[in-house]
Amino acid sequence: MLTVAQASTNHSAPGKQDRWIPSSCSLCYGMCSILAHNVDGVVTKIEGNPASACGEGRLCAKGIAGIMTVYDPNRVNIPLKRTNPRKGIGVDPQWVEISWDEALDIAVARLKEVYEHDPAELFLQGTTTCASEMHCGLFTFGSAFGADAVWVGGGGIHCGSGAHQTGGLMHASWSLVPDFKMCNFAIYFGASKGHSAGHVANQNAQLAADARARGMKMVVVDPMCNFAAGKGNEWVPIRVGTDGALALAMANVLVNELELYDRPYLKRCTNAPYLVKEDGHYLRDAASHKPLVWDEAAGAARAFDAGPSDTLALLGEFVVQGVKVQPGFQRLKEHLRKYTPDYSSRITTISAADIRRLAREFGEAARIGSTIVIDGEEFPYRPAAAIFFRGSQGHKNSTWNCVSIDLLNQLVGSADNVGGALGFNPVCYGHPSTGRPFYAPEATPDGLMITGTWMHPHKPFPANDAAAPTSIGMREIFPWAMTSPFYGASDREVWWNKFNIQRRPKVMINFGANAIMSVGNKDVVADALKDTFIISFDIFKNEMTDFADIVLPDTSYLERLFPSPNYPFIFNHPGGMGTWSWPIRQPVVERDGQRRDFLRVMYEIGCRLGLRDKLNQAYNIHFELKDPHRLGPGVKYDFDEISDRVLKSYFGEERGLEWFKQNGVLNWPKRADEVYWRSRVPVRVPVYFEIFQATGEQVRQVARELGVEKDLNFQAYQPLPDWNPCPSHECTDPQYDLISFYYRDTIHTNSLTMENPWLDEAAQMNDYSYNIAVNAATAQAKGLKDGDVIWVESSYGRKVKGRLKTTQGLHPEGVAVAALAGHWSKDLPIARGKGVFYNELIEVDYNHLDPGNLNMDLCAKVKIYKA
Amino acid sequence: MARWGMVIDLFKCIGCYGCQLSCKAENATPPGVTLARVEVSEVGTYPNVTRVNLPLLCMQCNEPPCEAVCPTKATQIRPDGIVFVDEEMCIGCKYCMIACPYGARYFVEDQAAYFGEQGFTPYEKAGYPKHKTGVVMKCDYCRHRIDDGLAKGLTPGIDREATPACVTNCMAKARFFGDLDDPQSEVSRLVARAQAFQLNPEFGTDPNTHYLPAGRSVTPAEPEQPVVQRRE
Repeated sequence: MLTVAQASTNHSAPGKQDRWIPSSCSLCYGMCSILAHNVDGVVTKIEGNPASACGEGRLCAKGIAGIMTVYDPNRVNIPLKRTNPRKGIGVDPQWVEISWDEALDIAVARLKEVYEHDPAELFLQGTTTCASEMHCGLFTFGSAFGADAVWVGGGGIHCGSGAHQTGGLMHASWSLVPDFKMCNFAIYFGASKGHSAGHVANQNAQLAADARARGMKMVVVDPMCNFAAGKGNEWVPIRVGTDGALALAMANVLVNELELYDRPYLKRCTNAPYLVKEDGHYLRDAASHKPLVWDEAAGAARAFDAGPSDTLALLGEFVVQGVKVQPGFQRLKEHLRKYTPDYSSRITTISAADIRRLAREFGEAARIGSTIVIDGEEFPYRPAAAIFFRGSQGHKNSTWNCVSIDLLNQLVGSADNVGGALGFNPVCYGHPSTGRPFYAPEATPDGLMITGTWMHPHKPFPANDAAAPTSIGMREIFPWAMTSPFYGASDREVWWNKFNIQRRPKVMINFGANAIMSVGNKDVVADALKDTFIISFDIFKNEMTDFADIVLPDTSYLERLFPSPNYPFIFNHPGGMGTWSWPIRQPVVERDGQRRDFLRVMYEIGCRLGLRDKLNQAYNIHFELKDPHRLGPGVKYDFDEISDRVLKSYFGEERGLEWFKQNGVLNWPKRADEVYWRSRVPVRVPVYFEIFQATGEQVRQVARELGVEKDLNFQAYQPLPDWNPCPSHECTDPQYDLISFYYRDTIHTNSLTMENPWLDEAAQMNDYSYNIAVNAATAQAKGLKDGDVIWVESSYGRKVKGRLKTTQGLHPEGVAVAALAGHWSKDLPIARGKGVFYNELIEVDYNHLDPGNLNMDLCAKVKIYKA
Repeated sequence: MARWGMVIDLFKCIGCYGCQLSCKAENATPPGVTLARVEVSEVGTYPNVTRVNLPLLCMQCNEPPCEAVCPTKATQIRPDGIVFVDEEMCIGCKYCMIACPYGARYFVEDQAAYFGEQGFTPYEKAGYPKHKTGVVMKCDYCRHRIDDGLAKGLTPGIDREATPACVTNCMAKARFFGDLDDPQSEVSRLVARAQAFQLNPEFGTDPNTHYLPAGRSVTPAEPEQPVVQRRE
């Protein structure tokens, strides 16, 4: 039995043990710092930890309600073995309880078979909710085992391939926020940063509220007027999935109508001046192979880094080496002309006048050319930010939507400059005592930015060269994909056969994801998972464990240790000026039953498979361990010791695990040149995407050799951004007249918290959480009224039922459903039957993926009618 | 003697339900009892529409109708303005629930578990004995926190430990607490603003809970740091 750490102990009454224990939340990936009140062994309260920048003492509803998750009587407490060989939705697995020894014996035997036959047939699945443990466990085990088939079932394949890829490519970070303390004009595209959403929910809420109170204008482009739009100065209702078309029209107005763009920034911090040949590629120096630019002062071409940038040409046409070339920016400028406000108005339903006005307001707010002094140093001052996230990126045109929106920041020079659009902490120069952790973006030989750190082993850029796929995820031929939804796709066999891939996912290790619900249509995913042997770490039995063969009772986040819940800082650590905080997660209550930590069990399984030394090496890489704290070969480590080494490796001998258990969090001040690094770090980002074109040419070559060229969509592989329609925009059957989408509720995290009775109670008091929202006039025209039970049926014949909530705050073509609800498992008595299972409407196949990054398209063309 | 009051800035409130849940966790209230709660509504007609998040709790009225109708004097007003129920004296007649125009009172008949027949969680077992059943519950501005905090020399509204749970937890920092009799307190300064209002003043109950409106117009001032504008 694990002993609860005694971080701060006082005895308020004789014989009473009363402790506030610092730890970290994990009811979403935000992982805010907490204090848990343990009285006589019972957690009686969870509050935010005021000593940490990660929340500064506040918690969202979910975090507070964690007590009812840890104490849920439906927790799994004993390992379970399936006795019914048949798998299907609604099929009882006929569980029998088994010992941990038997469970591990079975798991190891199945994994050994796969390891000896073909390690690439192991499929690893994790959940974003416990992102830190998930990243650690899946990476270390996958790396040691030789398995690269990994997906973050649901949250991950829905939310981030476009947004995080663009974040990494353009800001060296996972996500963006307005520089709330300094920003004067923020335009949100399908995002709700600062309105109780995900990463850094608590801190951003205060920063956003203070910013609005200070006078920051907040314009929210969204089909629905909910969390962010409901607080904005202006709600701009947009047709679902067309954000990129608006952004490109705004960019066109800035560049071609107003000529309002930051020339010095584009010359110095982007590849805008790189000379491009008629074939779309850079013109390169014959000897150094570096991209060339046109130096107007010299009247000649030179390598991009051969002198100062202020004399480089952004516009024009030149003949160099006998070749006709133009700066990439000239190409962009011409390309944008297509996106006239009238053209984009027809796509987005936003008036041309409003598009022009928004572009002007954004461009003027950016105060191009201004500087400001922060902490005694002068920085560019660009108080305008364009922010995107799940709403705008969850579409077939995922990358281009995000890139198009971010282009606005690049044009006015507000990327990572004071008041602008900040990546979450792309630069950290380390704790003053050790200089660790230390990371900053670096440049490729072409001068383009590589992130200093990342959440995955493979950084978002540079992409791998395209190759014939041999893995079950087939990412070899989709080099820009962060993850592959093909494991659960209805056309997976078609593609495996096209590429003559014999491998199949034989064994899956699942860490807490409920993929049956979280990916897409349940029947499609169930069909994909039914033949895989599934070892599932879970705190509850649910729809996913109904397909498992072995269920291992996991600890909850309140029962386990993890040394770095908020690192890498690019993920869930507050951005902007302030304080660096490094909290830990530690047990705040003793565990019940036979629950064991996922990470400790994975390490044990790895050791039993003979992978100990490889695992140790993977841990060294994952935690960037330095001598003398690196894990050596030939030693089996306890996770407490690994955690101690991690902390000492970053912060010195005196700050090991015991120090952190007592103190909870280590703080040190941020530097201005860490936060506003863009003008200091010599890297460029693309505004002309030769990198995508180059990948596309490789993909085309490989596809041609494999005879599949005509089967692939190449719209992701051009050098300039476009808005491309989703299948829902192309459906012409007039009976399907609406576009459905889901959005993340403030009260719930994905599907997990639906089982929490406190949150369920709050959600039942909210008109939107469990209902289907439709514009009131639209509903009226169809003879539907508030409270009616309706069907939402997709153009593919898939349908879900729910109660109608009519609203004024929704685009007339939209149908909106909150969160991931509608559980049917009898093992989740609180969650069962609550809300609407939106994902039933989602197709999982290549035609509904972004053809470049493989992000899923999450909208559907639907009709609604009374049930 | 202080007169405790709260100000909720609806402009800052984002409707996160943190107040509702922090109250529940702090006070171990049973199912169906939300001494702090949030009502989300929309205002306007498409496309000129916005949302209003209205956090509610006991208004802690200076003229509380609940007190006047209580036949056993279980509902009392403290000298510091806090209206509370002495559970030992409450007979559960519910007159106060009818009298309260803000719907801030709850009658708890039996102890119910959040997981129903699966029984009480360890948290509920530890927390529910704090309250009697068969009596009326209401928000009392977390008077246990205020009293314990004052006993330790802390200042409610400033020191976390001495401040109502919903206020300390507010992620948007939309809630303020303090002494309305102290003209220098933050709450007094906020209440002195022209836009500050009490909910339904026509009820004549003179609440100590005040609000700032959801809509207001602000233009950003120049930043404190020096800005230099260069023209190309």
